Amino acid sequence: MTTPIPSVAVDQSLLYPSPYKEFWQAFSKNKGAVAGLLFMLLVIFCALFAPWVAPHNPSEQYRDFLLTPPSWLEGGQLQFLLGTDELGRDLLSRLIHGSRLSLLIGLSSVVMSLIPGILLGLFAGFFPRLLGPTIMRLMDIMLALPSLLLAVAIVAILGPGLINTIIAIAVVSLPSYVRLTRAAVMGELNRDYVTAARLAGAGLPRLMFVTVLPNCMAPLIVQATLSFSSAILDAAALGFLGLGVQPPTPEWGTMLASARDYIERAWWVVSLPGLTILLSVLAINLMGDGLRDALDPKLKNAA
Amino acid sequence: MSLLEIKNLNVRFGDKNAVPVVDGLDISVDKGEVLAIVGESGSGKSVTMMALMGLIEHPGIVTADALNFDGKNMLKLSNRQRRQIVGKDLAMVFQDPMTALNPSYTVGFQIEEVLRLHLKMSGKQARKRAIELLEKVEIPGAASRMDAYPHQLSGGMSQRVAIAMAIAGEPKLLIADEPTTALDVTIQAQIMDLLLALQKEQNMGLVLITHDLAVVAETAQRVCVMYAGQAVEVGQVPQLFDIPAHPYSEALLKAIPEHSLGASRLSTLPGIVPGRYDRPQGCLLSPRCPYVQENCRTQRPALDPKSNSLARCFYPLNQEVA
Amino acid sequence: MAVVLTARDLTRHYEVSRGLFKGHATVRALNGVSFELEAGKTLAVVGESGCGKSTLARALTLIEEPSSGSLKIAGQEVAGADKAQRKQLRKDVQMVFQSPYASLNPRQKVGDQLGEPLLINTNLSAAERREKVQAMMKQVGLRPEHYQRYPHMFSGGQRQRIALARAMMLQPKVLVADEPTSALDVSIQAQVLNLFMDLQQEFNTAYVFISHNLAVVQHVADDVMVMYLGRPVEMGPKNDIYARPLHPYTQALLSATPTIHPDPNKPKIKIVGELPNPLNPPSGCAFHKRCPYATERCSTEEPALRLLDSRQVACHYAEQFLDGAA
Repeated sequence: MTTPIPSVAVDQSLLYPSPYKEFWQAFSKNKGAVAGLLFMLLVIFCALFAPWVAPHNPSEQYRDFLLTPPSWLEGGQLQFLLGTDELGRDLLSRLIHGSRLSLLIGLSSVVMSLIPGILLGLFAGFFPRLLGPTIMRLMDIMLALPSLLLAVAIVAILGPGLINTIIAIAVVSLPSYVRLTRAAVMGELNRDYVTAARLAGAGLPRLMFVTVLPNCMAPLIVQATLSFSSAILDAAALGFLGLGVQPPTPEWGTMLASARDYIERAWWVVSLPGLTILLSVLAINLMGDGLRDALDPKLKNAA
Repeated sequence: MSLLEIKNLNVRFGDKNAVPVVDGLDISVDKGEVLAIVGESGSGKSVTMMALMGLIEHPGIVTADALNFDGKNMLKLSNRQRRQIVGKDLAMVFQDPMTALNPSYTVGFQIEEVLRLHLKMSGKQARKRAIELLEKVEIPGAASRMDAYPHQLSGGMSQRVAIAMAIAGEPKLLIADEPTTALDVTIQAQIMDLLLALQKEQNMGLVLITHDLAVVAETAQRVCVMYAGQAVEVGQVPQLFDIPAHPYSEALLKAIPEHSLGASRLSTLPGIVPGRYDRPQGCLLSPRCPYVQENCRTQRPALDPKSNSLARCFYPLNQEVA
Repeated sequence: MAVVLTARDLTRHYEVSRGLFKGHATVRALNGVSFELEAGKTLAVVGESGCGKSTLARALTLIEEPSSGSLKIAGQEVAGADKAQRKQLRKDVQMVFQSPYASLNPRQKVGDQLGEPLLINTNLSAAERREKVQAMMKQVGLRPEHYQRYPHMFSGGQRQRIALARAMMLQPKVLVADEPTSALDVSIQAQVLNLFMDLQQEFNTAYVFISHNLAVVQHVADDVMVMYLGRPVEMGPKNDIYARPLHPYTQALLSATPTIHPDPNKPKIKIVGELPNPLNPPSGCAFHKRCPYATERCSTEEPALRLLDSRQVACHYAEQFLDGAA
């Protein structure tokens, strides 16, 4: 004798779109977020296909065309669409190749800080009596130091270069992930579904990674996109200070640094890399906002 | 003239073709009367009162032939004019007292705020009146409670404070939206007694929104049963409970455990309330109604007077043979 | 009928710090609860917030260890159980929670959530698990397509069905239901209660049904235990207690419960005040400050639970209610 199945014309739960579709519907309503996404897709495309997209070799110096203005200005050449720098290198090609580095730095530093950050945050949340406070005090100490100075200090110790830049940025962004994860974990631990999972006999690994972690992802994803953009900024700052990526590697920040002296004579050598950094960071931040709006309400939404 | 007159209220979220959350609702409340609005989730009962108070925001669209309170057309009021009425002549008590009070301010401050804004009281006068209000809602040690923060009070106490804030403006109509659902049963009885006593004393109209039929049976004079945004039966208490005309009213009554004492199973209607995607063409209850006939599925009945109540049904129950 | 659960003098105390210099206070959330539960029967635990029913639920489902007292489930003593025994105990007690919105993992498919208890506790293959899950889903009135869906796509009533299905996957001997229908509409409540009854018949599970809704309790319970401030004040067969409540608190609860057809001749018992602060419980009988019949003795001497007229009651003057109904 079983309870009869509710006989409704159409079961509402089957009409619901899949979570991915739901997410896309919410995300695409935000015009800024979509614009940011499109820009980032462009950047990713450039990064992936740089050798084929870039008109010139980024390191090739055209001695006859030093400091050529962009093609739409007087004196500009069509073969150098955005002009050349002080060593005669094509700016557009350098920017395109630079996108590879920026994306690489952004992605690897986020991954390098996200994974330990989540682990530490999980442990801090699940063991609030002893382990938790210890971890959090460590993070507090790290947060007390200004992030850029900390990055500079790390790079100064390890030496300049791409890998060390990434390590420095990863270390500096670690505390925010730990805090976020811990806060989210502590919020979820009180919920009934976690108790239900314990009652079903779930052990610690399952509780951590299968039950709780997926429910903490939304703020983490948003933080990850925002860290991505600040990673680019930090790399640019380090590069500007001469501590990051070393020339002749085309990195947007280093390009800014080496062109400092030409601000008055050849503004494009400084402004265009700066503008690229600005647009990329803006695009990522807009995407991050859109992600947060699309993800958070869904989680809180009880049908 | 009724204190509250609502005719053909429609509330929809989205554009003109969106499914209405409240569909053609008529309600009237007189001075000193207790009307209960009964319905389950999705019936539109809370949205109705929010529309009255002007709390429905974009993308909600509110239309009505009449939405008059105390002779004023609520639809045509400017924000400023509405603010002068809401909280003073028209007040509301909400379901969850813990979230209805501002956690960052003391209880005394919040009551005095109402007095300052609506009755233009200030300083010592406001404080004195606030203490009087707390005593009126039977809070022991009222003077010392003035400086308490909401989190220091129990659920029952918080609800009393919320009621004190609602009656501070000496309202003509008080709307109580599930005021006791979040409270224990003995506290529930106390709060309902308090509401009724205050209502009688100040001759207020009281609109009680609830899903608990038993509470309605013990407190209201008239009841409006809502289903999927429509009023399906409007009648007097206790007649509606003794001889319901609409099959949904009957089903609600039958589903209550006290109806099925001794039986092993509770009587239920199959299915669930229609949502956005599956609104029937005919009577909204037709997919679930045990008495459904052919024309019920294609035509929508109107809310018409039947023997003992207004009912929205082609084949009402318990009708007196004319 | 086999006894599946025995509780003797269950107590649970919490130490609460009262600030930097004030030292600790003890909250006696559970203060000596004893009962026996038979297979296929339902014990309803009735009381208001602060009476200890949630603490009892956590103790019975082994989420928390009692401070003292013994708990035996399916013959196995809980205290001192080793790892393997604990694993078996896990399978014997399950729980359904009050909020249908909080008790399901928002990020896990329904089918996966239902299969999880089997995944953790049995050696069944994925196909076998899926089969069992589909069978249980059918039994609670869900469709096979619902396997792939996420909880937020379901209504409150459907979620409670899913929660109930999950709890029953391991066919536990005892199911603790903590206000399972309080958040549901009347007609959905009726459907879900019917489902509870059907499953009980099918699996012969014993229920501990916690509720503050006396009308629902009257429908589902075989025995009733009324709790106040951590201890039972009246306990016995449902029909006896409802027909002739002997403890003033039980009488007040019944009187305060609204009914569709109120009897104008029955006077309403007015109870004043609220639950006392558990950090500072009254002396003597915990209820004496709110009891209309309290005497000097009630404020000094705590009444013991004693047998009277086929049930247990903790009141010095319970006899006065024997002849007339209150």
